Amino acid sequence: MSAVLGISAQYHDSAAALVIDGELVCAMQEERFSRIKNDAALPIAAARACLRHAGITANDLDAVVFYENPFAKLERVLVSTLRSFPASFRKFPTVVREQLGHKIWVLDDIANALGVPRTKVSHDDHHACHAACAFYLSPFEEAAILTVDGVGEGVTTTISKGSGTEITRLRALPYPQSLGLLYGALTAYLGFEVNEGEYKVMGLAAYGKPTRREELAKILKTSSDGSFELAPEYFAYDTDADVGFSPAMETLLGPRRLPGRPWDLPGNADDEAHADIAASLQEATTDALVALAREAKRLTGLDALCIAGGVALNAVANRDILRKAGFSRVFVPPAAGDAGGAVGAAFRFSHAHGAKRGKALVTAALGADIDTERARDTADAMGLRSTRTETPAQTVVDHLERGDVVAVAHGRFELGPRALGQRSILALPEDPDVRDRLNRVIKRREPFRPFAPSVLAERASEYFEGAPNDMTAFMVTVADVKDGAKEKLRAVTHVDGTARVQTVTKENAPLLAEVLLELEKRGRIPVVLNTSLNGAGEPIVGSGEDALAFFDSHPVDSMLLGDDLFLTRDKS
Amino acid sequence: MILSRVHTVFALLRHFSHRQRYFLWPLLIVLLLSSILLILTGGLSYVAPFVYALF
Repeated sequence: MSAVLGISAQYHDSAAALVIDGELVCAMQEERFSRIKNDAALPIAAARACLRHAGITANDLDAVVFYENPFAKLERVLVSTLRSFPASFRKFPTVVREQLGHKIWVLDDIANALGVPRTKVSHDDHHACHAACAFYLSPFEEAAILTVDGVGEGVTTTISKGSGTEITRLRALPYPQSLGLLYGALTAYLGFEVNEGEYKVMGLAAYGKPTRREELAKILKTSSDGSFELAPEYFAYDTDADVGFSPAMETLLGPRRLPGRPWDLPGNADDEAHADIAASLQEATTDALVALAREAKRLTGLDALCIAGGVALNAVANRDILRKAGFSRVFVPPAAGDAGGAVGAAFRFSHAHGAKRGKALVTAALGADIDTERARDTADAMGLRSTRTETPAQTVVDHLERGDVVAVAHGRFELGPRALGQRSILALPEDPDVRDRLNRVIKRREPFRPFAPSVLAERASEYFEGAPNDMTAFMVTVADVKDGAKEKLRAVTHVDGTARVQTVTKENAPLLAEVLLELEKRGRIPVVLNTSLNGAGEPIVGSGEDALAFFDSHPVDSMLLGDDLFLTRDKS
Repeated sequence: MILSRVHTVFALLRHFSHRQRYFLWPLLIVLLLSSILLILTGGLSYVAPFVYALF
């Protein structure tokens, strides 16, 4: 047996992943244990949970691989600090504190925390790990691979070719030419939190028109070979890491939007102007990604493409890449961002030491299961009553048909930012009032943010254009809702007529598939509104106790936890 | 613990021993000296003023 643990950490979305004999056994984000959203700390709880799930100990590990090279990262930080000197003068002590304080010692810290010999702990390359995560989880024997994120050690974008267990890098773009940093800087400009608010910008874009492309063209200059350049005068990564943009950005686009101000769309002129900027950014980013994908096609001549890196979570761009870049199939893993780097790191070591390729990823449910007994004890201690059900899917449908908003925590939690039926909040998709209730009362988030539909894979094409495809199982792309279906899917159709659809099978989300089949059996459309089981600012629920805490503090109507049903009216 | 730190310091020196990275050595030496100060004093709050003074 060859067991390799991959680790990603230090920037955002830290995670651990365990690969045994070339197969991904489990992968978990630290935030599900620490309850700190996007937690960047070393994923020691996640690593221990992976070992527990596999029934092995740290002594059984052949290697622990960190997903990037801390020394190359230090080099890039030093070079960029020198390049921007003296503007970077004020940031230098912070850089020293971060680097010397813990970042360069990460391999030692991993060895100490897990109790493995330091010689077993190694590092890899950030973008190579992204590429490996996407390709080795894909169903393709050969594929072009595109990785795009903020920055790895020194590069921000790569094009590679994957074949069997081999991945060969063909091109790379260096820092600071970065679509991720561009999107992040404008996310901050629009008043959202970087590394968290990018989804909000994507949702906001649908409310605007791309009327600011001319200005965006001054910031992002693209070439016919897919490469691009950011105009440095608009950015301030090396001097102001909090927002990443310079005063020149505000001179060009107008004053930034203050964080926390309520949105009023459509109607408020300022908000509409900011929505136009979001739309222009989204369109410019999509065009740049399509151009990169076309270049990947030209360089490899292959029919399939895998995409990873944080920018690969841009579901709107992914749809356009599939439509326009010349590939017949496109795959994006559910944790395309840094959490997936842990998966890639484990795979790369495993394959470099002779392991064969494992099976393609079927389900994102790679986390820890619900500990039913412990959850029941906690529920008892909290005074929450439940009834056990032998037919959980039918029970959920009974409640959905009453118009309930139903929380579901069942099976292993998912890897990545999407809840795909194991830690979800479900509702029927017809009534737009449900969407407003979810946004305002339960999720407490911006009113413009859409909710996603989950549909039986075999019925998806009746409601959504181009579904199912290789991305829809993991909710990493959008699809146009068919005209005839929009009336029935009002709660899950975004203002631009699209939906970030999940196609469900018994293999990728067993309980959700049963729920959809039951709805179909009762003469309803096999579609539900599906949003993640978490409150505002919280990570998605991990354990049964987390689910109970959510249920206790949020006004959902009922919750299925394992096979136990909790009703709000029974709350004491 | 100390052995693994030494392991990391050697890996760091190996990384920067390429000819193209020689120009970073002065900055690296400052960082390593700061690092030694950090270990001796047990806290970065003591190091930061030195760094400010140097730059």
